[in-house]
Amino acid sequence: MKKKLIIFIGICVSLPLFFSCKKNFLKEDVYSSLAPETLGDSLGIDASIIGLYNHLSTFFSKSDAQGWPSVWHAGTDVAFVPPSQKQGIEVPYYDYTQLNSTDGAASFTWGWAYRMISNANIIIKNADAVAGVTAATKASFGAEARFFRAYAYNTLATLFGKVPLVTEPTTTPKTNYTRNSLDEVNNLIIQDLTFAVANLSDVGGFGSKTNADGKPAARANKWQAAQLLAEVYLRANKPDLAEQQTASIINSGKFALTNARYGIRAGQPGDPFSDMFIYGNERRYQGNKEAIWVLEEENINTVPGGYTGAPQQRRNWGAAYYQVTDVDKNDPTKTVTMNIADSLGGRGIARMRLTDWVVYGLYENNDMRNSQYNIRRKYYYNNTQGKNYGLQVPYTGPDTLFKIAPNTTKWYDFIANNTDGTFGFAMTKDFILMRLGETYLLQAEAQFKQGKLAEAAASINALRTRAGASQVTAAQINLDFILDERARELLAEENRRMTLMRTGTLVTRTQAYNKQTINPVVGLTNKNLLLPIPQSEIDLNKDAVLEQNPGY
Amino acid sequence: MKDCSYCFPDRVVKMAPKHRLFFLPLFLFFSTLVFAQQTVRGKVTTVDGVLANATVQVKGTTTTVQTDEAGVFSISAKPNDVLVVTSVGFNAQEIPVSNRTSIDVKLSANSQMMTDIVVVGYGTQKRSDVTGSVSSVPKTRLTELPVTNILHAIEGSVAGVNVSQTSSVPGSSATVLVRGQNTITAGTGPYLVVDGVPFSKTGAVTNDINPNDIASIEVLKDASATAIYGVNGANGVILITTKRGLTGKPVIRYNAYTGFDNLSNWLTPLSPEAYVQKYADYKAQVPSANQGVLPNNFEVTNYNAGHTVDWLKEVTRQGIMQDHNLSVSGGSKDVRYYLSGDYLQQKGAVKGYQYRRISIRSNLDINITDFLTVGTNLSFANNNYDGGRANFYLAAAMSPYGTEYNATGNYEIYPMSPELLYMNPLLGLNSDRTDRASNLTGNGYAEVKFGGVLKGLKYRLNGGYTYVPTRFGSYAGRTAGNTQGGVASLSTSETTNWTIENILSYTRDFGVHHVDFTGLFSAQQRDYFTFGAGSIGFINDELSFNRLEAGSSLTGNTSYRDKYDLLSQMGRINYSYQSKYLLTVTARRDGSSVMGANTSKYGVFPSVALGWNMMNENFIRNISAVNALKLRGSYGKSGNEAISVYQTITQEGTVRYPFGGISTVGVLASNLGNANLHWETSKTLNIGLDFGILKNRINGSIDVYDTKTEGLLLRRNLPLITGYSFVLDNLGKTTNHGIELTLNTENITGRNFRWQTSIVFAANKNKIVDLYGDQKSDVGNRWFIGQPIGVIYDYKLVGVWQAGEDPSKWDPGAKPGDLKFADINGDGKITSDDKVIQGQTTPKWSGGLTNTFHYKNFHLNVFIQTFQGALKNNVTLTYADEAGRMNIPVATGYWTAANKSQTRPSLAYTNTRGYGYPSDNSFTRIKDVTLSYVFSQGLLDKLKLSSLTIYASGRNLHTFTKWIGWDPENNYSFRGSGDWTNNYPLTREIVFGMNVALR
Repeated sequence: MKKKLIIFIGICVSLPLFFSCKKNFLKEDVYSSLAPETLGDSLGIDASIIGLYNHLSTFFSKSDAQGWPSVWHAGTDVAFVPPSQKQGIEVPYYDYTQLNSTDGAASFTWGWAYRMISNANIIIKNADAVAGVTAATKASFGAEARFFRAYAYNTLATLFGKVPLVTEPTTTPKTNYTRNSLDEVNNLIIQDLTFAVANLSDVGGFGSKTNADGKPAARANKWQAAQLLAEVYLRANKPDLAEQQTASIINSGKFALTNARYGIRAGQPGDPFSDMFIYGNERRYQGNKEAIWVLEEENINTVPGGYTGAPQQRRNWGAAYYQVTDVDKNDPTKTVTMNIADSLGGRGIARMRLTDWVVYGLYENNDMRNSQYNIRRKYYYNNTQGKNYGLQVPYTGPDTLFKIAPNTTKWYDFIANNTDGTFGFAMTKDFILMRLGETYLLQAEAQFKQGKLAEAAASINALRTRAGASQVTAAQINLDFILDERARELLAEENRRMTLMRTGTLVTRTQAYNKQTINPVVGLTNKNLLLPIPQSEIDLNKDAVLEQNPGY
Repeated sequence: MKDCSYCFPDRVVKMAPKHRLFFLPLFLFFSTLVFAQQTVRGKVTTVDGVLANATVQVKGTTTTVQTDEAGVFSISAKPNDVLVVTSVGFNAQEIPVSNRTSIDVKLSANSQMMTDIVVVGYGTQKRSDVTGSVSSVPKTRLTELPVTNILHAIEGSVAGVNVSQTSSVPGSSATVLVRGQNTITAGTGPYLVVDGVPFSKTGAVTNDINPNDIASIEVLKDASATAIYGVNGANGVILITTKRGLTGKPVIRYNAYTGFDNLSNWLTPLSPEAYVQKYADYKAQVPSANQGVLPNNFEVTNYNAGHTVDWLKEVTRQGIMQDHNLSVSGGSKDVRYYLSGDYLQQKGAVKGYQYRRISIRSNLDINITDFLTVGTNLSFANNNYDGGRANFYLAAAMSPYGTEYNATGNYEIYPMSPELLYMNPLLGLNSDRTDRASNLTGNGYAEVKFGGVLKGLKYRLNGGYTYVPTRFGSYAGRTAGNTQGGVASLSTSETTNWTIENILSYTRDFGVHHVDFTGLFSAQQRDYFTFGAGSIGFINDELSFNRLEAGSSLTGNTSYRDKYDLLSQMGRINYSYQSKYLLTVTARRDGSSVMGANTSKYGVFPSVALGWNMMNENFIRNISAVNALKLRGSYGKSGNEAISVYQTITQEGTVRYPFGGISTVGVLASNLGNANLHWETSKTLNIGLDFGILKNRINGSIDVYDTKTEGLLLRRNLPLITGYSFVLDNLGKTTNHGIELTLNTENITGRNFRWQTSIVFAANKNKIVDLYGDQKSDVGNRWFIGQPIGVIYDYKLVGVWQAGEDPSKWDPGAKPGDLKFADINGDGKITSDDKVIQGQTTPKWSGGLTNTFHYKNFHLNVFIQTFQGALKNNVTLTYADEAGRMNIPVATGYWTAANKSQTRPSLAYTNTRGYGYPSDNSFTRIKDVTLSYVFSQGLLDKLKLSSLTIYASGRNLHTFTKWIGWDPENNYSFRGSGDWTNNYPLTREIVFGMNVALR
């Protein structure tokens, strides 16, 4: 027995030796993540590019700080924040005394842009080395990544001015960045976009769900690169080059201003301008001939990953009419509230209110962009339990600050049985990031800067004709008029703050038009034409001085 | 119970011959050694009752037995032999047999006795031979202390071990820190070993251990003690030993308690009147606020109707807990067993919270031959945290004028409608929730003793397998406030872990020289897998989460798998000369899979320790006042690999984006890897003194230590310019030095009345010595050279701006009611340069004070713990009333132009500077008080029981603190952050229990 036992024990002893001597026992096998080196083929590069679209959308769908959309509009000439509706992140953007180097919005934007740049750099490097594809495919990979890199750098240059240039993937920690000159930054952007214009796909035909390369229509196209390039040339004060780009878009014949009713609600009350902002009408293949670049969103309940964050635009821009109370028709001691309705655009909470300048001074009465379908100014009691059911809610008192404040319908959205429904946290709606309307405005700006006032007036009149507004003359054209027209055309659509920072007009225009006494703009000075470099970046960049913008 | 009739004395008598017969072969075997032996029986008792596990040895021989659960022993001895009776925590006694066959022994207590046997890594040692810093958890903390988690038993009772109960949710564990924090990013918790087999990193949780099954807990603190755990040793090691069967007749033991718990501290919200006033003040401070007496329609309606709700009352209830533990142990000379079954049920003081545990343990030892022993430790535990839960946070936040029920009698979803941020705190009670985790552990061992020239050599094979499946499911339907037709989610996980250890040990005395050697070769592998899925939109709430495909859309399918491997070799030599001079040398070599691919993945961790048993020197032995004196010193290196798997590898995560309505998968870089990453190493110098004076009436130990940690595994934040937010790196150095004191005194030792005191005290000073090799602090990460690792770096609050004060040259833009911060650099504005270090987040010192009073059969134990010198950001103050939306505690308050508060801002204040309201969270707590009654022998004889103790115990009876909040120790989160749905108040428990052993 003793012998057998010893043999048995011997086996037991050798067992662990066998396990542990197995080759690579300590090697880590990653089962559930991909490694960069496995993504170097064309499938991997294409998936990496999809990642850029996902990352892009996180800028528009940020919801951890719900006042995010207000950062870009409130405290400019177009909007202010009703004090009870503030969230926090947007506060330093109207109380500029609080805009400091630990600002949350500036820090997020900075990090978001550099993450885009970092991912684009990986793709650009891999695209050069990818095997087994044609030179044209390589170029189109590179062009798509370069477009996003340029988009991120343009955001940084507009908001922060000089920034460090990073053009290679990060593989080891680095903490000695310094700011490159604005010329260097602009040159890289122009170089990237020039490459993108040359190598990105053309759009497909109207109604086609694919672009000229057979890829989904929402993939980047050469015209969006051209439009961004036009804007960059304007910022870099090269208006002639900007005009070349806008002209190429307008003359391409690929796009047309929306002059007629179309789409899923063409038979219902509305106008051509409002048709463009109905979910289901916003994309080129859905009939929007004006659309150049659309960031698509889907109902997250039916399409996994339909949106990234929980977009807050509807809640920020829409009025909080659901708080309007009516007396119960059966019991005068009780009150009832208005119902959240599809026709009223779902549940808004009015984190922003349009400035009186926009509400009362911006539009001619017959301007289509000011129609009841585009700016809602009247509300009617809609609770059948209410005593005043069907009557107009009187436009008086503090309710006009946020409950029934006039508001743009561009972000109206309501999908039942979704978080988009009655709770109304997220919004399912496409983001029209570029359309032909803006091309005319950029062109007008380029022409004005070259002194071509008549041409500028003609560019603007293209939009005013569509809107049914009066024509303007060359004598009326100046930068302020162009910026007014941008507000009329692109209200709540363009990033107003970036437009005013790009044109250096943030201080003058805000002071001229954002004049209400409730939650007034305070502390706005010329230093605010740039945002503060995030303090954490300055602190973490310990081996070199990352210079702060003046005044912060 | 009829089967149990053998428990009664008449049957014992009958069994006795059989018993002897069973042992006959053994006696024959030993016949050459022993002669003219007789069986001596007896019972070992203490002032508290019978004493199990006491060791009875025939002096000068290897004949040793242990007392059973009834304190009874039976040993073969010659009439002129002397019996030595020892037990952990008691003074040893030597008793001549003197021809007797029945000897009862009464031992007196002494928790620092030098003859204790203590469990050390990979073996046991006599306390007097231990050279490292090893503390045992006092036995009184393991019995008669009704805790659901073993870590709660350690809390406050061992110097240098900080146990923090960060949550009071039934079934929650605790965090443990041994001798301060060495590391910044890597894991800080000690390494747990149960019955010699690694417990940490196997997927097991401390809830899987039934406290009733614990025989002893030892904490290894210095490098000499922990170095043999290599890359897992740097944060200290806790060795847990479960009870085992002893030779003797079966002992059936039944321990039970039932308890009642309630909130120990009420953070009372504003009364309805004060809440209305708060809104009036809000309106005065925020011009565009909704006019009306309260902001929301429902609130106004209820206000007009005079209807209020006490939400905290609605979500709380009388908590009840009960525990039943039945164990049987015993054995013959060749087979010993311990079987235990336990049922624990806890109904929380907040509605919906509950915890149930069923556990079974079977520990078996079998002598197959005289040289081979095999055994098993099998345990199964099922932890059940099921049940929809009320939301305590929302209850504290809810308006007293909220609507609790709607017209149909169901919970109103939004009590403050049309405000949709705050849902009814009771809705969770209508949701379906299952949350379960089991642990099936099977450990087996085989031990071979060699003879002849190899005498003293022993080989032991440990094999362990742990299987931990978990299951989580939740369903929130229409009555639980879901507006999407119900949302269901399910997830399961499975962790399997195997460990194989080969241990070779050799013990031999050569005259005055004693040598023992331990060698180890071991391997461990853990495999983890999880899968989750969800679904929304059900036709009704019937199916809950039991059929996901019945939902209209499936959401959120996830899966993940990883693997961890560890390969180790270890050697240890103990040498002692005349039990006077002691030497321990150890070295461990560990290879761990989590280290970077560019490294060898291996590290070597040596240590050396010296001990001087001064008691064994004649010049000390002659000093009658000194009963024990030992000086210890150790120096060594231990490691910390405690980062999770795959951290060294650059990975890309998958994301989605829809194109034309089609979800498309993309990838984004997720983290920056570092293939050079290796463990961090801690070098610790420890000097200790163990002492006992005045017949051991005063005894204890003092340890001072100095730990230098280098190559820190640092989660170093990077400039976002890199495209990444952090990277793990081996950077920097920290030091910890501190002092630990344990002192036990017998203050009064009368015949009927005795009073003992036990004090533990520990102070630790933690410092960052260097970070990046350039002596520069890292403000971005809040790491400062020369400061502790965790510090509060924030603006200095000096008051609140009052009307009429001019902030233009101090904090331009500040309005009355805004917080006033010190302009440290005097530049006329408040910028990030005005932040200063305000204190550390770990305690400067902590202590525990236990007073035990004995009067006849009554025993009273009072335990007080204290935690001093730490700051913590206070979320209760930070988030206040969320811009006029929620109720606040009375203790919080707010500024008004009239009250001119200098500590709280106005209701209109927006905290754009991210001030964290750091507050002193020092506290002193009357942690527990236990009154027990031990039935005397006479009464027990009448009851035919072997022992009976009844007790009443109170826990968390009172806390002395300046902290504003539910509790200074527990962590709370704000709405939407962290674990906010499980904010739970600290509870005060009153427990009644009994421990009975059948005869």
